[in-house]
Amino acid sequence: MLKSLKIASPKELSKKLVTEYSFVLSFILLVIIAASVNKNFFTWTNISNIFVQSSMVGLIAMGMSMVISAGLIDISVGSQVAIIGGFGILILNRTGSAAVMLIFCIGCGFVLGSINGLLVTKGGMPSMVATMAMQGACRSVINHFGAGGPFTVDKELFEYFRMLAVGGIQITARFKIPYLMIIFCAAGLLFDVIMKQTKLGKHIYAVGSNETSARLSGISVDLVKASTFIITGMLCGIVSVIYASRTTAVAAASAATGYEMDAIAAVAIGGTAMSGGRGKIIGTFMGVLMFKMISNILTAADVSTYLNGAISAAIIVIAVLMQNLQNRRNRN
Amino acid sequence: MLVEMRGIVKDFGPVRAVDHVDFTVDTGEIVGLLGENGAGKSTLMNVLAGSYPANTGETFINGQRVSITNARTANQYGIRFIHQELNLCNDLAVFENMFLAEEITNGFVLLNKKEMIRRCNQIFERMKVKIDPRIPVENLQAADKQLVEIAKALLFKCELIIMDEPTTALSTHEIENLFSIMRQLKEEGVSFIYISHKIPELFEICETYYVLRDGRLVANGKFGDIDENGITELMIGRQLADDEFSRHVNSSREEVVLSARNLSGEGFKNISFELHAGEILAVTGLHGSGRDAVADALYGVIPYKGEIIINGKPMKAGAKIRAFLSRGIIMVPRMRKERGIHNDLSTYDNISMGYLNTKHKSLFIDKKAEHERFLRQKKALAIKTEQPQNPITSLSGGNQQKVILGRWLETDSTVILFDNPTQGIDVGTKFEIYHLILNFARQGKGIIIFSQEFPEIFKVADSCLVLYKGEINAALGRDELTEKNVMYYSTGANLEGEKYA
Repeated sequence: MLKSLKIASPKELSKKLVTEYSFVLSFILLVIIAASVNKNFFTWTNISNIFVQSSMVGLIAMGMSMVISAGLIDISVGSQVAIIGGFGILILNRTGSAAVMLIFCIGCGFVLGSINGLLVTKGGMPSMVATMAMQGACRSVINHFGAGGPFTVDKELFEYFRMLAVGGIQITARFKIPYLMIIFCAAGLLFDVIMKQTKLGKHIYAVGSNETSARLSGISVDLVKASTFIITGMLCGIVSVIYASRTTAVAAASAATGYEMDAIAAVAIGGTAMSGGRGKIIGTFMGVLMFKMISNILTAADVSTYLNGAISAAIIVIAVLMQNLQNRRNRN
Repeated sequence: MLVEMRGIVKDFGPVRAVDHVDFTVDTGEIVGLLGENGAGKSTLMNVLAGSYPANTGETFINGQRVSITNARTANQYGIRFIHQELNLCNDLAVFENMFLAEEITNGFVLLNKKEMIRRCNQIFERMKVKIDPRIPVENLQAADKQLVEIAKALLFKCELIIMDEPTTALSTHEIENLFSIMRQLKEEGVSFIYISHKIPELFEICETYYVLRDGRLVANGKFGDIDENGITELMIGRQLADDEFSRHVNSSREEVVLSARNLSGEGFKNISFELHAGEILAVTGLHGSGRDAVADALYGVIPYKGEIIINGKPMKAGAKIRAFLSRGIIMVPRMRKERGIHNDLSTYDNISMGYLNTKHKSLFIDKKAEHERFLRQKKALAIKTEQPQNPITSLSGGNQQKVILGRWLETDSTVILFDNPTQGIDVGTKFEIYHLILNFARQGKGIIIFSQEFPEIFKVADSCLVLYKGEINAALGRDELTEKNVMYYSTGANLEGEKYA
């Protein structure tokens, strides 16, 4: 067996838990709180619900992890979901096929992501500015075509199309694994492998860590940066189909608003450095779940849903502060 | 007596970085602090300047026991630390930088620019330098930035200036200028602690030396009582004869691996040369002579006009780095920190980066192959680390440089470009790198080393191109390779009359 792959001693393991995986501690803490507030917390229905509710922001957060690890940011994701979803429903109603809609939506995501990528690489724009422009443009165009109102799935397609969001694999009468839970977990696994075990993943970290060194190593920095936007765009395409399926309508003005901030927050809670170069997909995965658990706890504790934002904000601040303190201690 | 440190101990976790060191600086004295990387020089100075608290030990200023806990108190005692990486804000003007956090105001809010500029000019006059305080720092040469840092120190009460490797980015002429300013300040009673790896400089400017090794003080004394070999021996703790390199045998063969024809670009023009297999060609020149630009052009980093021919086949015009890599040209870049390493990434990843870009074909990265790559390079280059999964920054500078070299040895190469390969590396590792370079030549690789340090060039080079104002001023063979010749041609003395000779 390789020396470096040997199982670490418990002492090393606990040190690593505190330094590199502090998000796991926050996660456990939150589970304990959730379980004590909500006595139904450990039921399968509740747990699978949390996964289902996390799936949309979760998929986007996977892409956001890549973007941020490359030292960039993408705040256009919410608007991308809205515009792709709106037009996607038009396609669905025209063709009656969810598969065609899915391909169309992923294609749109590819195009929008490519535009973001081109603006940032060839246009030399800061990613914050480029994606802000994209955010405004997408929302405005879909508002124009939808006159601010919803794009609705045709009545006769309801049953068929809703299956994606509400359906699942029935194991026993009371035990069903929802499709969305499967999709979310599979995406988490896939992106973890991409970031850790493929050339693209290593190159993303390399670019985020030191762009000049990456260029001198022969990495096509522009291509790497553009890929992160394109992958995120394609994820937005998939999410827009899920969104349409869950709500059977995409409201032009309000659909998926705030997704960008939720995704960025999940990435931050998960321990990814906002400056790029460092981060873990498992952290983002747990970060997304933590977000949904908070609202789960608040509902069970009968706290006004208006306070959701404030409490989420507090959790973000505490989680990131903990990481910073830890980093500072490591440095000294 | 100005500053006295007694029995200083500083631990970082289980590592003892400084171990019971006594250190004294007298008024108007220039003290050289020597030691290999990781010997504890910077740590000791950080303790003195209040960046780190010492575990035990005492500091006295003029006989009074003091406790310096942060940079502000250090400044109040007149101690100024000029770090190796300059702490200047590039976008701000010179005077804004000099008064940063100590701005002079009219009453409460508005800045008194006039007064600040006047005070800056005063200091520059005292130092006899010409820098306009109103221009942005980014428009300054590296040497002038260094001078601004010193001027900033002199603006306020300043009795001791600590300089950590101040000359790495400076040309010989600029170093002379810096030294004359230091000597002048010394006359005025300012003391210096001077940290450098360049031993001839230390002999020139310093009176007394302190040598640290593994955190301990191994020797101190006067530079007058010791020679360069003696100092080197003290630093590395073993004999390393310089003359082993003078038996250097040229192993170059007939075949030309790289030739450049009339290369021109920003900062250089009409560069033509041929590099044979097994030949080590040095390219030297002062700061701003186009040395950096030529290095970049030969690796596709910056655009050029003219022709580069590798193994008989010309490169396509406008070829990028990847094209050069695929033709077997690799480069160990200058400024390791900014251009070489990925500081967040592990040693594994840093080594694998070259392989992944050029030879990796399968979908997934094989952990086992990655580990084998590491072991192979660790053995070949004697990289000192047992935990390759840790960030590369846990390695010393010399070992980081070896990792970057190892990154490229995992690809197939015929030409290796070394761009200032031993910058900020301790003496022991420098020698190891010279040996490696000679070995690569023996294996038949063509090697170009871009350097400004003559001792380095002399140790390895078969021939040497001297650049001046972007053009080749002289091509020296091994038998013509003397420090005097290199200096003569790199200052352009042959072109601009004898007064510069």
